[in-house]
Order: sequence, then C-alpha cells, then structure tokens
Amino acid sequence: MDEREMMAVVESILFVSGDPVDARDIGKILDLDLRLVRKLMKKMTDCYNFERRGLQIVTVNDTFQLATRPEYSSHIEKYIGQERSQGLSQASLETLAVIAYRQPVTKADIEAIRGVKCDYTITILHNRGYIQEVARLDTPGRPILYGTTDLFLRSFGMSDIDELPPLEQPEQPEPGTS
Amino acid sequence: MSYLVKLDQFEGPLDLLLHLISKSKVRIEDISITEITEQYLGTLHRMKQFDVEIASEFLVMAATLLHIKSCILVPRSKPDPEEEEEADPKQELITRLLEYKKYKEAGSRLQEREAYFSGIFYKLPEEFYSDGGKEALPSDVDAELLCLTLLKLLSMKKGSAARRAGPLIHEIKRDPITINERMTQLREYFVHCSQTTFFQMFQNDNTKEEIIVTFLALLELLKENYIALQQEYPFEDIVIKRRVANG
Repeated sequence: MDEREMMAVVESILFVSGDPVDARDIGKILDLDLRLVRKLMKKMTDCYNFERRGLQIVTVNDTFQLATRPEYSSHIEKYIGQERSQGLSQASLETLAVIAYRQPVTKADIEAIRGVKCDYTITILHNRGYIQEVARLDTPGRPILYGTTDLFLRSFGMSDIDELPPLEQPEQPEPGTS
Repeated sequence: MSYLVKLDQFEGPLDLLLHLISKSKVRIEDISITEITEQYLGTLHRMKQFDVEIASEFLVMAATLLHIKSCILVPRSKPDPEEEEEADPKQELITRLLEYKKYKEAGSRLQEREAYFSGIFYKLPEEFYSDGGKEALPSDVDAELLCLTLLKLLSMKKGSAARRAGPLIHEIKRDPITINERMTQLREYFVHCSQTTFFQMFQNDNTKEEIIVTFLALLELLKENYIALQQEYPFEDIVIKRRVANG
C-alpha cells in the first residue's frame, strides 16, 4: 500500500469514527509502528492545511479527529441557522487558567490565587468536561488534585498541554518598597 | 443604577483591587495603601447602599488593607531583627495581586481561544449494530431447547396475564367494622344476656379482621370494667360476665 492509499484509508476511518482516533489504532490497521503513524499523520495534516480544505485534522495527545476549520464557522452557523452556545464566564475562565497552568492543583490553591470560593466554577468546568480529578494529595483530608482534559485541549486549540501560551512573567517587584 | 451593574462584575476582592489600581493609573508595585484602602472601603460602602450582598471575602480583604495601613501608620520604636524576617504584609499583597493578574490575563487569552476554536464542528460517530450471526451461544446451551423454552414462556405469559393482574394490585380494604362499633354491639348484647363465653363470642366472626376487632373490643370493655372474666382451668373456655355494678 503506498502513502496515498494509506492516507485515504486513514481519512475514511476518521470520517466513520467522528470521535478522535488513537494513533495506535491507526497503526494496527495499517500495520505501521507508532513513529511511522505520526509521520503519516503529520504529512496528512499538512496536506489538509496546505490545500486549505474545509476540513482539518485536529491532533490532541496522539489522537486524530476530522473537524471543520474555524475560519468557515460563520458560514456553517448561517447554514444551521443558530449561533454558538455561550462561552465560559470570566470567573470560570480564571479558574480554568489557574488549573491549566498550575496542574495538578487543589481547590484551596485555586482559591488562594483567586481570593474567592471556587466550588461553583469548578463544578461548571467539571460538567463541561474541561477538568478532571487527576489524583489526591497525600495530606490530611486527601484533597482532590485537578487537571485539564483532552477535551480542554481540543476546545482551546491545543494538541498538547505544552502548547499552552506562556503565562506572562510578572515584573519583579522591587524589594522593600514599604 | 448602572453603577450596580458595574460592581457586579468583580470576581473577588483581588479583582476589585486591580480595577481600582488600574483606575488610579499606578503600577501595582507603587500602590499607596492609604489611597487604595479608602477607595476600596468606599466601593464596599456603595455596594451596601445598592443592597449588593457583600461576600465575606471582600470583608477579609478590607481587614487586611486596614491592617497593612495600621502597620505603616504606627511607627516602630526600634527595628526588631525578628520582625524583619516576617513577611511584609504590603509586599505580600502586591505579590498576590501580581500573581492574580497573571491568571486573570491568562483567562482572557483562553477566552479568545475558546471563541475562535468553538467554531470547529465535529461529526458524530457512525452507529454500528452488531449482526446477530456472530454471536455465539455457550457450548452447553442447546439452541433448539432454548427456542422451545422461550416459546413456552411466551405462551404461558399470555394465558396467565389475567391471573397475574390480580396480585399486582393490592387493595386496601376499609375495616369491615370498627372497634367502637363492635363495643357498642357487645354492650347491647350484654344488656340482653348477662353472660357468655369466649368461644361463643367468635362464632359469628368469619374473617380475620372481624376476629381481631372483636378481641380488641373485648379488651377495651375489660379495661372499662364493663365486663369481668372468669376461667376455671387453664385452656378452658373463659366465661364473660357483665359487671353488675357498672350497669
């Protein structure tokens, strides 16, 4: 099977799946090792992007998913005749930012940074599927440690948590200003 | 009332402080605690006027600000070397504000990303139905017998549908007779004949409920001292007599 054919196979599988497809599963079907699958998928993704197709391949943590391109969202909305659901509130976004940059992190840590109770926003983010319990801290009360999910990466256009834009470094406060 | 709406959007005391600092156009590091405390308390006061419920976190911050202010105002007699090592509360607040600001800004960057990337649409997975041919029965199951049993069960169900309907509905019946009614009956009975026996009492009662009611009525009458009991030997019939004194 040549590369073109393999890409065609992957494309059809991605179409049928709808959901993200794991690189290992693609490897099993095409009888390729993981490294070659990644290479093939990289090439395929570039190809989609170069041709500026209506569809793109969204990559998140070694999974691949067929999706529309955000540039064309206004046309799609015109077609479905309804606007997108509302985004997260300012409070939820702040909480999400703390979790994304500080993960794994406890509720108490988040509240210390934000200076307000965060139970509600954590529930919202949890219900949206953006955060999950990753572990529990080995201290009294065994508090839950929160981290972000693959859905968070996908919804915010990242294929890996390393792609999170750098948290701006604060200007160093001058010591002894008081 | 527009001010009320504006107050609503502070996500917390740190957010409010950042707002006040940006309004007075100073760097966070250069804030004047006296000024910021005044502005902060002023805002809380206005919130109160507009009946905005002030979260406890805002009050904690107000106390913190006043504490810092008092530390600055009260001159220290001599610098204590131990106290020097303690964290400067103002510096602490500045660090917290800078830290909070980072995440607030990161939050708005995330918002931009969310707005852009929520324009991506995905497709639902195709639905697959497993085809029956591939499903295997355990080796010790006879398919023909299983089929027959199923048919038998189905036909049984049909026949017994009417019968089954009965026990499923449980009817709660009204008591055929109340204890009070029975007591009245017994009193009337004892007017005519002053004596009877325990076994005779239950001759006319044929349902369980009636027997229970009669028994309870007897106990009630006994309690009221309307009747007296007498038994010659154990397990012998009990003689029930109307108490003369009560009549």
